[in-house]
Amino acid sequence: MQSLKNTFSSLWQTLFGHPVRAFGAVSLLFLISLAIAPAKNYFSEWRHYQNRYLALVRGRGDAVTLQRHFHEHDGIQQIWLPTLGVVDRCTTCHAGLKEASLADVGTQPFRQHPVIPHTLDQFGCVMCHRGQGPATTVEEAHRSTAAWEQPILPARYVQSSCGQCHRAPLTGTPQLNLGRNLLGRYGCVHCHTIKLPDGSAIKPTDVPPSLSHVADKSTREWVYAWLKDPQAYAVTATMPNFKLSDPDARDISAFLIANSTPIAGDTAPVAPGAKNQKPPDPTAGASLYGESFCASCHAVQNAAGNVVGGDVGPELTRVGSKVKPEWLRAWLRNPRVYDSQTLMPHYRLTDPQVSLLTAFLGNKTDSDLLANVHLDAATPEQVAHGKLLVTEYGCASCHEISGIKKPDNFAPELTRIGSKPLTQIIFLPGMTHAIPDYIAAKIREPRSFGSALKMPQFSLAPAQVDALTTALLSLTDRAHDLPLALTVPSKPPSNYQPAGKAGQLMADLTCFSCHAINGRGSDMAPDLTWEGSSVQRPWLQAFLKNPGTLRPALIRRMPRFNLSDDDAKELTDYIMAVYQTPAFDRDSMPSSGYPPAQVEQGKQLFYSKYACQSCHIVDTKVDKGYVGPTLTQVGSRLTAAWIYHWLKDPQAMRPGAIEPNRNMNDEDARALTAFLMTQKGSNKQEAKK
Amino acid sequence: MAKTITDYFEELRGTRVWRSVFRSGTGSSTLHRALAVQQNVFLHLFSTKVRTRMLSFSTTWYLGTLTFGTLLILVGTGIPLMFYYHPSVPQAYADTKDLQFVVSSGLFLRNLHRWSAHAMVFLVFAHMFKVFYRGAYRPPREFNWVIGVILLLITLLLSYTGYLLPWDQLAFWAITVGSNIASAVPVMGNKVHFLMLGGNVVNANALLRFYVLHCMILPLVAILFVAIHFWRIRKDGGLYAHQSEPTTVAAESVPAAAKGGQFQ
Repeated sequence: MQSLKNTFSSLWQTLFGHPVRAFGAVSLLFLISLAIAPAKNYFSEWRHYQNRYLALVRGRGDAVTLQRHFHEHDGIQQIWLPTLGVVDRCTTCHAGLKEASLADVGTQPFRQHPVIPHTLDQFGCVMCHRGQGPATTVEEAHRSTAAWEQPILPARYVQSSCGQCHRAPLTGTPQLNLGRNLLGRYGCVHCHTIKLPDGSAIKPTDVPPSLSHVADKSTREWVYAWLKDPQAYAVTATMPNFKLSDPDARDISAFLIANSTPIAGDTAPVAPGAKNQKPPDPTAGASLYGESFCASCHAVQNAAGNVVGGDVGPELTRVGSKVKPEWLRAWLRNPRVYDSQTLMPHYRLTDPQVSLLTAFLGNKTDSDLLANVHLDAATPEQVAHGKLLVTEYGCASCHEISGIKKPDNFAPELTRIGSKPLTQIIFLPGMTHAIPDYIAAKIREPRSFGSALKMPQFSLAPAQVDALTTALLSLTDRAHDLPLALTVPSKPPSNYQPAGKAGQLMADLTCFSCHAINGRGSDMAPDLTWEGSSVQRPWLQAFLKNPGTLRPALIRRMPRFNLSDDDAKELTDYIMAVYQTPAFDRDSMPSSGYPPAQVEQGKQLFYSKYACQSCHIVDTKVDKGYVGPTLTQVGSRLTAAWIYHWLKDPQAMRPGAIEPNRNMNDEDARALTAFLMTQKGSNKQEAKK
Repeated sequence: MAKTITDYFEELRGTRVWRSVFRSGTGSSTLHRALAVQQNVFLHLFSTKVRTRMLSFSTTWYLGTLTFGTLLILVGTGIPLMFYYHPSVPQAYADTKDLQFVVSSGLFLRNLHRWSAHAMVFLVFAHMFKVFYRGAYRPPREFNWVIGVILLLITLLLSYTGYLLPWDQLAFWAITVGSNIASAVPVMGNKVHFLMLGGNVVNANALLRFYVLHCMILPLVAILFVAIHFWRIRKDGGLYAHQSEPTTVAAESVPAAAKGGQFQ
């Protein structure tokens, strides 16, 4: 100890004992510490990565080319796009992004960028990946620091960045498209306003039923069970679980039933005499359900637990436990009486058919669902408390409830949620402090952020959570502040309305629930915008009366609406007159009388050159194509002019058609048209007629 | 006898060029030494003669000199920083990022500037405490104490105006809060606030004003007052020595070579 002290003091004396020596020693110390700066500068991270890149490239066959590319721009690389506010130096370390020959290199940061529709020089890196573009160190560029809140976007949400500019769905971004659909489908936008850069707002696409007349339709017990756990009634239900306590669910159900007002004609009690009728054939109901293609829109959970059917209408697995038979009967007769806005078409069912379906659906019950629900008669206090709860939980944001106003901005606006400052967010303990994690956690389990929060629990699959997160992440400041010229807008929503009596008929049959016309409607069934140029009048009229299948492989089909002759004619007239393409005249080519040689040539082309039989069927005995529609009767279904123009360019006739454009020459197209126009249907069917 | 470095230096001092620049001639007599100080524009601010014990560490802890040293570092690093910095809203933050990531030793420059600024504020306070507790503010040095207080304020203002220049969130809110404090002044508070920022909120005008203050006006004023401060030390009779302090320092602590023409 003493010797250490002596050594130290003698060292001190040597270095600082004399002012000149002290000056020299201090100067030396300063010089050394000053030298650290240029040294750090020289041994910087990016230089290290550039050296590693050169070492990687050296051993390769195309080393000379790669080295030349690298040395064309020495030092720090930069993509500078003033209009987008992009200064990206990522390519300083990620040196091989543009080198196609580095496809086999798997180590970052030297991997080649996957092929995308944009070039790096056009958009830079942070537009899609976020992170800090100007940074030249790994930590600063990728992670969030005290002065930079936007770390790199996890790869699984990267599609959100496409959505900053592209408002319309892209084929390359299925996750983003799904997320945007879900925002509407799960009714997120009922409570959360989401304004788009063009000034419009995202509209909900779910149709929450009005609760003003719910007592006509359901029992209080069912309402109670539904409120407690919607997914126990129907696994596909989009209604979220509000995690209500028993008394709260009791009071809300009491209020809703007490608040309900009857609608004249929305119930149809069974006539007393009808009870004596012999029970219908047990399979008749099921076959009518099948023939009417109810499953195109409604799903049912089968014994294996799989949900089978469409998702346009509600799931019907336990519908017998929900609706009252007298309401169901009236609904099936004409749904428009109870709900004028319903997507359900007005089937013209006969009374026996209505009874048959009512009985069939009434049997779809679940005894467990209501087994433990025992509610005493509601007291006025319960009703009053129920009303309070309904207001508090914002039920009227989604459902129409008479006497309760739809609240405005019930939940926080999400217009710029993708750029929400982290300082405004309260994270859960242990959570990564980043926007994607926050959004995903909030969607996955909203009440984990506080049991008093109102946002209910949605039942979403992990993929759906990711999709929703992706869609929300695309709502950034940049998306809103981009120059309009750089955005790719979506098509404005169409509010096309067909006119006249045919228009009323189409509304009654809810054609737009499945078909699209002039940009309005669903994509479940073919677009009918040019239908008048496409089909022949006799076929259309017969089809509307009794739709046959065109694509045998599909489960969904146009249902039979039991239209009267007048109605079918009215619709046919309207379609033939109005839905015509301006591109050609539908009568410009004859429907028959083609020379046999041309027909024969068309047949050769059909089977050999273009191999149409891989997707279509002309001869039911030999052809096996199930992708496209069956063409055995195409000669009496389609017009020759349509076939000809379709063959020349299918996508021009119907955007998004999956038939490939074969760049057919005129002669081939005419020969194939001639051949197809001879396919007028089998003799057997004609004999039957 | 071989020439020593001192001999070479003496020779240099005798050349015509040297004599044209420095008017005091060769020789190391007390007169020559005094003239060398007196006839130099910078050095004439200082006393021509200093007691050796005034140069010992314990007397002043060198706090004033260290403060002046940090000021020199701040000027030395601040000028290169000005080469890379635009005081405009779209550029300012990007420029600090460029300094951090692209400019050679830019981060070192910035950090040195920043830490020196912190050190200067600390040293000014330490210097004032030392002066205060030694009683060195008393007549005839009371005016120099006032100059010192002004220099303290200038130091704080330099620190405050420099804080806005990176134009990040920290800067923005610090200046917003700071300027709001100014608006709490009775009667003319809002006018002062408006004058400070060149507007009602921290914006492009405030950035420009703070930049000009930080890089032009305040440093010039600081240099002016530092000059007066140094000059007053001489005029007030040199560094303050307490009556009870010994007039000489222990012989062994005085370097032998420095004993030449010193007053003890």
